[in-house]
Amino acid sequence: MAEISESSNSSKISSPKAEQEEDDFDSNTMRRTKPGLKRLALAFSVLFSFLLGFPLLWKSIEIYRAPLSFKDVDLLFERIKSNPLQFPCNFRAIFVGFDSKTSEELSRLGYSISNRMTGLASKTPQCGTCSGNFSVSVMIDSNSGCVESRHTPNACSHQCGEIRSVDFGANDDTVDDKLESALGDCSGKSYTVVVVNGDTGYKAVIGKYRHAWIVGRFSEEEAVLKISEIFVEVFMKGGNEEGAIHGEFMPVGADGRIVLSYNLLNANPQDWIYDWDFDRIDEDMLSPVVEALRNVANISVESQVLYHTPKSSYSHWDDERGAHIFSVGDLPFFVNSNEWHLDTSIAAGGRSKILHFVVYIPSAKECPLLLQLPDGEISKTNGFISPMWGGVIVWNPPKCLREPESGHPAKHKISSHDLQMINEVFMGQLRQLFGLTSDSLFLGRLGKAIQLTSDKGFTEWELDVLSRQHACFNLHSCATTLGSLSRLVQSLPRMIIMDEIGKQVDFSLEAAKQAENDASLGIFDSSADSSRQARSLAEDAFFHPSIMSVSYYSFEHCFAVYSPFFLPVSLHVILAALKEWKRYKQEKTKYLTWKAKVDTAAS
Amino acid sequence: MLADDMACNARNKYPAQVFNNENHRLNLYGDNVEVDYRGYEVTVENFLRVLTGRHETAVPRSKRLLSDEGSHILLYMTGHGGDEFLKFQDSEELQSHDLADAVKQMKEKGRFKELLIMVDTCQAATLFSQLHSPGVLAIGSSLKGENSYSHHLDSDVGVSVVDRFTFYTLAFFERLNMYDNASLSSLFSSYNPSLLLSTAYYRTDLYPRQMEQVPVTNFFGSVMETIHTDHPYRYSKRKGSSKGKIEMSLDQAVQDEKRRILSNLGDQNIDSDTKCPMGSMIHMWNSILDEIEKFEDRDTLVYYGLVMMLPLLAVSSWLSS
Repeated sequence: MAEISESSNSSKISSPKAEQEEDDFDSNTMRRTKPGLKRLALAFSVLFSFLLGFPLLWKSIEIYRAPLSFKDVDLLFERIKSNPLQFPCNFRAIFVGFDSKTSEELSRLGYSISNRMTGLASKTPQCGTCSGNFSVSVMIDSNSGCVESRHTPNACSHQCGEIRSVDFGANDDTVDDKLESALGDCSGKSYTVVVVNGDTGYKAVIGKYRHAWIVGRFSEEEAVLKISEIFVEVFMKGGNEEGAIHGEFMPVGADGRIVLSYNLLNANPQDWIYDWDFDRIDEDMLSPVVEALRNVANISVESQVLYHTPKSSYSHWDDERGAHIFSVGDLPFFVNSNEWHLDTSIAAGGRSKILHFVVYIPSAKECPLLLQLPDGEISKTNGFISPMWGGVIVWNPPKCLREPESGHPAKHKISSHDLQMINEVFMGQLRQLFGLTSDSLFLGRLGKAIQLTSDKGFTEWELDVLSRQHACFNLHSCATTLGSLSRLVQSLPRMIIMDEIGKQVDFSLEAAKQAENDASLGIFDSSADSSRQARSLAEDAFFHPSIMSVSYYSFEHCFAVYSPFFLPVSLHVILAALKEWKRYKQEKTKYLTWKAKVDTAAS
Repeated sequence: MLADDMACNARNKYPAQVFNNENHRLNLYGDNVEVDYRGYEVTVENFLRVLTGRHETAVPRSKRLLSDEGSHILLYMTGHGGDEFLKFQDSEELQSHDLADAVKQMKEKGRFKELLIMVDTCQAATLFSQLHSPGVLAIGSSLKGENSYSHHLDSDVGVSVVDRFTFYTLAFFERLNMYDNASLSSLFSSYNPSLLLSTAYYRTDLYPRQMEQVPVTNFFGSVMETIHTDHPYRYSKRKGSSKGKIEMSLDQAVQDEKRRILSNLGDQNIDSDTKCPMGSMIHMWNSILDEIEKFEDRDTLVYYGLVMMLPLLAVSSWLSS
């Protein structure tokens, strides 16, 4: 504005020279003053504030993903897949009552035993068995002293002559305890078979700890065969495989716990009502078992009494036996899931495993109720298990006497003798569910062996077998779970991963490494414990409720939400800035041309 | 899962009863029926949570699918549906790829051994077209482009009581008794297209066994695998055994929480990748981000930023005047 008024003024007082200048002055291509920077500064300051704000916006809509160590997870997975967990085991054979031998002969004997064992064991390389390089040492305890075979890497010592002094003719339990004290600190570290030179017959007993003994008269070869069979079939593999569950391994719950739920079912309380003294069962039987299994699972116990719980299968009356008979074909339909409300535990977490143990008391119409086996015999236990679910025992009230009509049915308690018998069957069923036999006899190819029973429900070598199996399974499960989690997380790039999940994965990897270390050192129980923790942490991470793919939007969705706010405005801002820049350049050239003209006119 | 619990609907003339036939002979909603999710709880998210097992800690066991590696699961879905979807609650859809993804996760985690999916909606066969996991059998009441119809109208109650596919399925099972050994192939071939007014399509390509050898009790009837217990485990009480007491801890939730509320290991520094060519710039940027992250209250940061915009605005408006 000022320029135009100036120029008009100057045009009035202009000299011809100025007029000439004015004629040359073309306001389209020239200007007299330097163009200002205010407009440019304005436009660019708005653009600049937009650009400044953009990273802040980006950060605010960023998805928080806790860093997961995918590499470590993959490494663990590869390691577990390529070599399944195997534990180092030590075996000792002790000969008592034989003539003395030299150390070389004993080494040769040890060599042949381990050869035979490799032959037996290599058929089924299961998860959690002893590793291929086990050590066998042979010792002889004779009148002229003790001789050991050479090359005993994990040597443990016991008093020479102690084993010889044990009287093998006494009661089995006494012999077992005496052997345990005689073996000293060897009992915790290795599996021992004591071969006793006797006169009569053949007797084999497998003790409650980690040793077994065979008494009889046999040659060296026979001894080698029997010893290696006991080592492989019993101590390595856990005894009989018939009667136990084939192929299906029962894992503990995903959070490392098992709840044992004991239920007393009165089918028809109008006939009779029975109660039981569960505290006795708890004290007598269950607390030692819970304590013994603490490395394998965290066990808790519950009990309840239910009424009006008929079964859903049928039975028929058999005159000959004077009882109602139901057969093995009825067993799959026995449990009436509609009316038996068994899984009502409030304390059990969502991922614990519940094993149901049921005592079923039939109604008066079906009393006594007996189970008939396929071979026609009546079952001794009157009970059955369902793998991974639990077990049922049918208990018939004594003499099936029904009270005469007296209004309210009388309440009875199960007698302590019957309770003891029920205890024993439950214990057998629990062992069956864990994959061991409920029998106390081991049937090998080379003869029978008596298995001593422990009041903890499981002998120490059986606990070793369970620890090994569970450690191996838990590690394998942990590795696959973490692998699935990492694949899932990588396939959903816009899913939030909370810190908690990252920490659980880290702790799980740590526990898994600890378990592998313990396994390589041969510490079975702490390996089982760490592996259980590793698995439960991995499961916690995988089943975290925030990992639901349906809740997270794709990047296109996010773009579609934010772009209507920012795109049009930013477009205008950028265009304005560009326009201002172009205008500034134009004005600048206009000014420069005028300046050049003035200079040429002046010069 | 019942989105509309008809037995408990206020407009049901026969409360707590649902019939499959206008003769009202069979009450399907007996004494033992337990509905775990009803009404507003029936959502696609809850359905997928049940399948995959990703519940909150507080969800009770009765609302979870407690299956393991050896379980056989029956999944029966009915309602309105269409091409690759099933309608939930008039507002949501379950897509076939979501279902296939959930089944894949279930299989990876070993939550079932065998799964039978039965779908009774329009164009039902499209719902399981994307399945890829082994061990899954699926049957749908109609093909793509076909509708599924209801069976008959009960003028007493005022609604159509049952769909055709469901009616004929129920009729098949009512004819059986407990000890019959009917196979799945007899079930699948019992559907007559002229009676259903649609083609019941089933897919067996993911299932390892032959239909003729699979009994229906594999999925129906809650039948269990059983093994007889041969011997009791007799043991002698040791002298002087201690009487241990097991304390039943009622605060299991606290123990769970202890695992979840893991101790804070301290801030983890995100290691910047110094191998990157623009290493120093990115390092500086990362340190700026770390500084920002150390702000405890993100809201105050936002407020500071907004407040700082005002002087900028003031400056620019002064410049333009």
